[in-house]
Amino acid sequence: MFEQIWQAIISGLAQGSVYALIAQGFFLTWVTTKSLNFGQGEFLMMGALFGLSLFGYLGVTGVNPFVAGLLCIAATIVLGLALERVAVRPVIHLASFSWVLSTVAVSIMLKNVAVVGWGPAETKFPAYISEKMIHISGAGIAPQELFCLVASVTTMLALFLFLKRARLGKAMMAVANNVSAASVVGINPTFIMALAYALSSGLAGLGGILIAPITFAFAEMGALITIKAFAAALAGGLDNPLGILLGGLIIGLIEQGATMISSDIRDLSIFAFVLLLLALRPTGLLGVKAIEKV
Amino acid sequence: MKKSEGRFPSPILADYSSSRFLGLAAAAVIIYLLPKIFADPFFILILQTIGFTYMAVLGLDFLVGFTGQKSLGHQGFFAIGGYTTVLLTTRLGWDFWWAFPVAIVFSAIAGLIMAVSAFRAKGPYIAMVTIAFGFVIEVIANRWVALTNGPMGIFGITKPHWFGGPLNPTGYFYLIAYMALALTMTTLNMLTSRVGRTLVAMRESEVAAESLGISVYAWKTMAFVVSGIFAGIGGVFFAHQSSFINSESFRFSQAIMFLAAAILGGSGTVLGPLVGTVVLVLLPHIFAGLYKYYLFIYGLILLLSIIFFNKGIVGSLAGMGGFGWLTPKKSRLDVPAEKLAFAVSAPNDRPLLAVSGLSRYFGGIKAVDGIDYQLYPGYIYGLIGPNGSGKSTLVNVLSGVYQPTAGRVEFKGETISGAKSHQMAVKGIARTFQTIRLFRHMTVLENIMVGFHIHMRRGFWGHMLRTRATVKEEEHFMGLALALLARLGMTDKADTLVENLPYGHQRLVEIGRALGTFPALLFLDEPAAGMNAHEIRELREIILGLKTAGIPVIVVIEHHMDLVMNLCESITVLDFGQKICQGSPSEVQSDPKVCTAYLGQAEV
Repeated sequence: MFEQIWQAIISGLAQGSVYALIAQGFFLTWVTTKSLNFGQGEFLMMGALFGLSLFGYLGVTGVNPFVAGLLCIAATIVLGLALERVAVRPVIHLASFSWVLSTVAVSIMLKNVAVVGWGPAETKFPAYISEKMIHISGAGIAPQELFCLVASVTTMLALFLFLKRARLGKAMMAVANNVSAASVVGINPTFIMALAYALSSGLAGLGGILIAPITFAFAEMGALITIKAFAAALAGGLDNPLGILLGGLIIGLIEQGATMISSDIRDLSIFAFVLLLLALRPTGLLGVKAIEKV
Repeated sequence: MKKSEGRFPSPILADYSSSRFLGLAAAAVIIYLLPKIFADPFFILILQTIGFTYMAVLGLDFLVGFTGQKSLGHQGFFAIGGYTTVLLTTRLGWDFWWAFPVAIVFSAIAGLIMAVSAFRAKGPYIAMVTIAFGFVIEVIANRWVALTNGPMGIFGITKPHWFGGPLNPTGYFYLIAYMALALTMTTLNMLTSRVGRTLVAMRESEVAAESLGISVYAWKTMAFVVSGIFAGIGGVFFAHQSSFINSESFRFSQAIMFLAAAILGGSGTVLGPLVGTVVLVLLPHIFAGLYKYYLFIYGLILLLSIIFFNKGIVGSLAGMGGFGWLTPKKSRLDVPAEKLAFAVSAPNDRPLLAVSGLSRYFGGIKAVDGIDYQLYPGYIYGLIGPNGSGKSTLVNVLSGVYQPTAGRVEFKGETISGAKSHQMAVKGIARTFQTIRLFRHMTVLENIMVGFHIHMRRGFWGHMLRTRATVKEEEHFMGLALALLARLGMTDKADTLVENLPYGHQRLVEIGRALGTFPALLFLDEPAAGMNAHEIRELREIILGLKTAGIPVIVVIEHHMDLVMNLCESITVLDFGQKICQGSPSEVQSDPKVCTAYLGQAEV
């Protein structure tokens, strides 16, 4: 029982860290453009499928898996820039939420591309570190999960640092705070918005190659991840990256915990949790509660 | 300049009964002829699908197009409606027509639950709440196998009976289509009257709507319930279309499809939901031959139409030449102006409003700090003080926008501290806002009509069925609204969209709207801001006129000292959240404390 709980915790944190990683993309584009990519899951899927091709392909020719991973992320970034230019920028000025539908439309197209290009089957992803279980006081832990957790949390910490310290990151937060004030001091909001989508897609691509060795890679792998990452973002607070990290980990833990009881209640537990949480705290765990000034 | 005629349905009683009747008759005839012209059984199935999908889309559009709420969980209502009648008819052997009302009740309850969970959420959080709601229903349908048989599904579902026998496919289509037509009519009735006005007002500014006595909570809940019922009815007809349903029938993608149809067709237009539904139901059949690339093409068409028809198909077409008939020209009824009567009150020695020890803190900031304040009927009061002295906060607390941290407020002898904004309006406290909070996309007349909200008695059913009494009531208040506009000198602006008015006029509309509540106490928060000298003189006449007309107490918060000194009989000065002086204009002007507050202490 004890081992099971340990394993569930590690799996939950690993899964949850990927939800959080995807959800950071929601944060970045939401604060800067007030839109988000409802196809984040499909971008993750594309990252994984690019990885499938590159790792299988380059692996034999001796290319560093690290380089291959960077190539995957670069490919999803290009996709993200295209998405921003074609599907988001033309509709963003409308005082509606057309972007929900335009990004969903792109995700539908990507799913089709995936099936045509890579086939509908669930494919095993080549592991880039040892698959041998590590045993800690009786509990078996998959190194891949540990790697996934460490890599995504490290990436997120780097992202936080980037937003706090780097010139470009600060420019991004300036746009998030006030677009017109930011442009007055010489920041180009259009560039920043494109950058937000590029980062957001890159995070999704990274999430894809991190989670694929655990869950396999296939065209439908992104569907539920988008929703769960969205749940993580709003449970934590869409405007608070730290809250999102927390939200992702909690969602992952709830998911694995519920699975231990019965796989029937796995998804139910997540959505029931989010419903309840948002009923009690309408801006998530660490989201800022806006007092409307009258 | 945008014209009000461009909008339809406009949220006000309109004189288009003849075109309305023609439209209804034409729709009924078309529905009758469709299965005769396209007698192919497959086509009749598609017609049925369009019919029940349209019901859900119509329900969603009611929510999206008019309240600005969005839902990505409407497949949940579809499932609840469908499973209710299917389970009651197959498991318990009920007749369809007994199960049908139960499905409506269950959908309504589900709508209530969604409303309660979504109420405090905003923007993307609402999306999340509705997604979670839809998923919870979806997962229950999928996993509660004992009840729904999950993915294995339920067999042996029969069509509803109609005069003896089960309906044939054509009869089933007629049932769906005429019910959809009835739902469309009731929706139009609601949207072109008080219900539509209230919903649009809430979308434009919740704070302003509350200040006029609209309980945003109750009305939002109503919108979710109506929307849920429509989608639930759609689900019922979906479930009985074939003899089998399973849990795979209700997916998140369906919720996306409903939203896509509502937006693609043209959110907030009459024909939009129908056009969007037809397009999205037909697309898969048109491209079914390209099976392998079907989803790609579907996504591409969706993407392109969103980019190119940015107001939806109907909305974009209506703006083009040759499609003017999509928006009826005549915008409203002509009614004679009626006589206005405010509650006349003579000065007396009992205060209308008595405030003692009132405080409101924001964290460590004491915005209002222990104020005692009395207002007697028959006077115009002034409230002045430097920026940040707490004037607006005091008004916000007294009008229920903020709750007091401490202290006591008595109004007409009754303790009202802690009452909410919409309750204050009912009690007789009205206000305008420092930063204008008009319903920008409504006309002047429509704005004023929202002001009468608390005095209108005809309820939901009356508006749905547009009873004679409802029409009479709308006409009566429209007459009062015209009288109010005449008093403000704005009769010729009645049908202008307020966003097209100059600043000074917008301020007047806000005053008119507040007057619609027939208040005993009226707060005017910087009414002269942005006005030129001429407009300020007119404003003074208008405010004096209101006193003569019988508004018991008017409080003017202002920075224009000449207006305050020439208008108000008693002036209160605030500084740092405290009352530093009260008296006649000359007393206040000669008080050294006031001078210090405004100009600072002289260095000695």
